[in-house]
Amino acid sequence: MTEIVNSPASVIAAAGTSVNQAAVGMQPGNATEAEMAVDSEFVGNKLGIGFYLSGFWIAAISLAALFAPWLPIKPLEGLESLGERETAPSLTHFFGTNANGKDMFALCIWGARTSLIVGFASITLGMLTGGTIGIVAGFIGGVFDKVSSFIILLLLSIPALILAIFILQSIGNSLFWITITIAILSIPALARLARAQTLAFAEREFVTASRALGAKNGRVMVREILPNVLMPLLALALLAMAIAIVAEGTLSFLGLGAANSSDSWGKLIFAGTPQTLLKDSPWICFAPILMIFLTVLSLNYLGDQVRRRFDVQDIPL
Amino acid sequence: MSSFILKRLGLLVAVVFSVTLLTFLAVNLQGDPLVTLSGPVCETPIDPDFVDECIRLGEDFNLEDPLPIRYAKWVGGMATGNFGRSLVDRVPVSTIMRQRFPETLLLMAMAQFMALGIAIPWAVKAAQSNNGRFDKTSTTMSFAFIAVPAFALGPILIYLFVLTWEIFPASYDDANIGSRLFSLFLPALTLAFGLAAGYQRLLRTDLGATLQEDFILMAKAKGMSTRRIMWGHALRSSLFSIVTVFAINTGALVGGALVVETIFGITGMGGALAEAAIREDFTLVLAGVVVISTGFVVLNILADTLYAIIDPRVRND
Repeated sequence: MTEIVNSPASVIAAAGTSVNQAAVGMQPGNATEAEMAVDSEFVGNKLGIGFYLSGFWIAAISLAALFAPWLPIKPLEGLESLGERETAPSLTHFFGTNANGKDMFALCIWGARTSLIVGFASITLGMLTGGTIGIVAGFIGGVFDKVSSFIILLLLSIPALILAIFILQSIGNSLFWITITIAILSIPALARLARAQTLAFAEREFVTASRALGAKNGRVMVREILPNVLMPLLALALLAMAIAIVAEGTLSFLGLGAANSSDSWGKLIFAGTPQTLLKDSPWICFAPILMIFLTVLSLNYLGDQVRRRFDVQDIPL
Repeated sequence: MSSFILKRLGLLVAVVFSVTLLTFLAVNLQGDPLVTLSGPVCETPIDPDFVDECIRLGEDFNLEDPLPIRYAKWVGGMATGNFGRSLVDRVPVSTIMRQRFPETLLLMAMAQFMALGIAIPWAVKAAQSNNGRFDKTSTTMSFAFIAVPAFALGPILIYLFVLTWEIFPASYDDANIGSRLFSLFLPALTLAFGLAAGYQRLLRTDLGATLQEDFILMAKAKGMSTRRIMWGHALRSSLFSIVTVFAINTGALVGGALVVETIFGITGMGGALAEAAIREDFTLVLAGVVVISTGFVVLNILADTLYAIIDPRVRND
């Protein structure tokens, strides 16, 4: 099994998550020393302005989504009655209004709720499951490792969106199942990283010391391994969250999103794509595009920065 | 080498078996398979208008047989090109796939081709600039490229190139091969964007590592031109990871094709699958999942084998 899992294709698949093309090229933990050397100049010990800008955007959009009901924007139900249709962006309507006269700015903030909740919930779930599987598989090894490695390989061998469509087709597409589906899709990458990190740390002196003091497997895993796995895993989780938001957007865009939830960014973008509408009122499409772009960019950037800070290859052994 | 290939073939069989078994169980173990497949029309008491159809559907899926035989017949049927009939259009699924797959394959091939065409010169130039302004700008740009999902980039490109500048036709034109390639340009570019950024980052990293090698120093010492060192020596030994990622990205491209074909109205397999998922055409979705997953595994195994041929170290790990 290990040869199979460690084949070049699978190693990179492990690192490069697979939900969507946004995953391309994000290989956490896969950076070579050369990249480290190249990057070291602008990583240094201080975080650049990009880090703070990204952090600011994520904080702002999360707070806006969280407190949307109390913000001075139109409530979702009352949006219908605005009247003025397809008005261009102005001071009263920052992002203009859509074909039904709904305020695009308000819609984008309300859309953030769906997109961010799915992104956050699915990756939290994926991280808990994948992290646990990875740590246990890496630490205990044996049959559990072989079985979980094969399941992961299986998950990776079906193109992610195809798998998502299949799961949603056979179970049903509520917001809950979409979250679960994306969580399942995120497990392989997260589990593999956790497993690799665990393998790297299981042989270290402090683990031996802890065992010598009589610690049982469970305690070693929680007290010694987990703290070392957590930061790289969080870094990957940030990237995965970006991918999850794109995945949810893709499903909504294709009309496979949750039917009974408020419109996520993907659905808002889709609503603006008919060509006549796009030609006359591009802001209907571009406003949610801007939101998803900034969010994904920020999450990618944050994830990348965190990864570089805590990459195990960075720590001189 | 032959044991390497044998192991990969074993993997292929294991994955195909598991994928077909899981999809089969998902259909057959959730209550009445007839209802799962057809929706409520075949629920007992069967709607009199649909009796014939429900009987035919039952025959298509061998519902009279016990589970293991039903599974064997189903897989055997698929192996001989019999995927059943579409539940909505009532034509054989194999006919739909024969009509639709070429378009998607062409689109994916174009996208990969364009992505490499953009990424290779870009990465070489960036590596040459080695941490200079061009290199740093490239890193930022690749971040931005990756953060634009296909369903966001598509409408932007349509707005610019179709609606504003009117360079490309407004709808897909499959009259002849020239018009096909021409109208596939924008869709392929949509897919190539994120891919190219991923390839650029990967190749840039590998080039960075290669440029540290002694043979590059040797080439410099001989007085070889930078252009020849980069294109003739460094690039060749840096292409390994791209070969593997190339195959993995195809999985992401399948997902991308679903979106892009929907946006640009291309009558390919991706669009057909997305449509089938919305119309709950379960047979078509099922066939798509099995065929695409199998193709994807085969492609990954080919890439692994190719990798082992290029780089003998992989064979014996």
